[in-house]
Amino acid sequence: MKTLTALALLLVAAAGHAETPQAITRQYADAAPAGFVPAARRGEALFRQNFAINDKMPSCTACHTDHPKNPGRHAVTGKTIRPLAVVANGERFSDPAKVEKWFGRNCREVVGRACTPGEKADFVAYMNEVR
Amino acid sequence: MQKILVWDWPVRLGHWLMVGGFALAWLTGDSESLRLVHVAAGTTVIAVAAFRLLWGFAGTRHARFAAFVRGPAAVRRYLTSLLRLEPETHVGHNPAGGWAILALLGLALLTGLAGWATYEEIGGHWLEELHEGLAATMLTVVIVHVAGVVSGSLAHGENLVRAMFTGRKEGAPEQAIPSARPLAALLLLVWVAAAGWWMLN
Repeated sequence: MKTLTALALLLVAAAGHAETPQAITRQYADAAPAGFVPAARRGEALFRQNFAINDKMPSCTACHTDHPKNPGRHAVTGKTIRPLAVVANGERFSDPAKVEKWFGRNCREVVGRACTPGEKADFVAYMNEVR
Repeated sequence: MQKILVWDWPVRLGHWLMVGGFALAWLTGDSESLRLVHVAAGTTVIAVAAFRLLWGFAGTRHARFAAFVRGPAAVRRYLTSLLRLEPETHVGHNPAGGWAILALLGLALLTGLAGWATYEEIGGHWLEELHEGLAATMLTVVIVHVAGVVSGSLAHGENLVRAMFTGRKEGAPEQAIPSARPLAALLLLVWVAAAGWWMLN
């Protein structure tokens, strides 16, 4: 049994740091200016903001719909995107490298610039708390 | 020695379609709004590589794998001769170039298939990582290949990039290919277009 537990822990570690959304929020918050406190409310505002940088994808909601609990639809390919909300998709915001990669891609293309650590912390907090 | 026809049309057209497809796919890899451009570019890469594999058996003399795929000893000998600035003469691909072709064809197919599987959501996140790793490996081999072409061109005093456009290189008349096979090149174009149409519909 002990061996099995150890093996399971090892597998989890090898699978690329599995983390909780809370831990990922904290990591981003730690990288933000001192005194920063993540707020799901600001994350929601970011999710809904119309940046109007990209014609086909002016906001996050262009693909992810008005509610993160819903499955999304890619604005260009029409392919289904699994929900962003952790309550609807337990795999979301559990792999820090994957989270950082997709913030990098989507912020540049939709927001028109890199997102700040504070914005990322707010966004993950919202996706983790939204019901 | 005189200028003779060495590369047929499918080899040349396939080469430049591969260059264009890979460059475009690389540049659009991170973009969601250009996702369909990326998919079309990647489809071109797979389709050209698949055609080239068949052409390696059914093509003209210097396009056949049997004409230019050599063992490690031959590659070492060629690279040594290149370093001494007294390069061995090969009318077709030199042994090092032959390895680059095999590596690039293999990587083109693997990268494309992993990308296709990612696009169709077969498998998981690991396929996306594999696709990106393979693409980066392919870019590395492309850089080595281009470096080889430049150094080979300088050492031989023959512009190998131009030869990939015109199909003509220095050689003895009996080593020339009799036809540039334009109809097969047309077939390649139709095949690439059909693959792209099928992928995007």
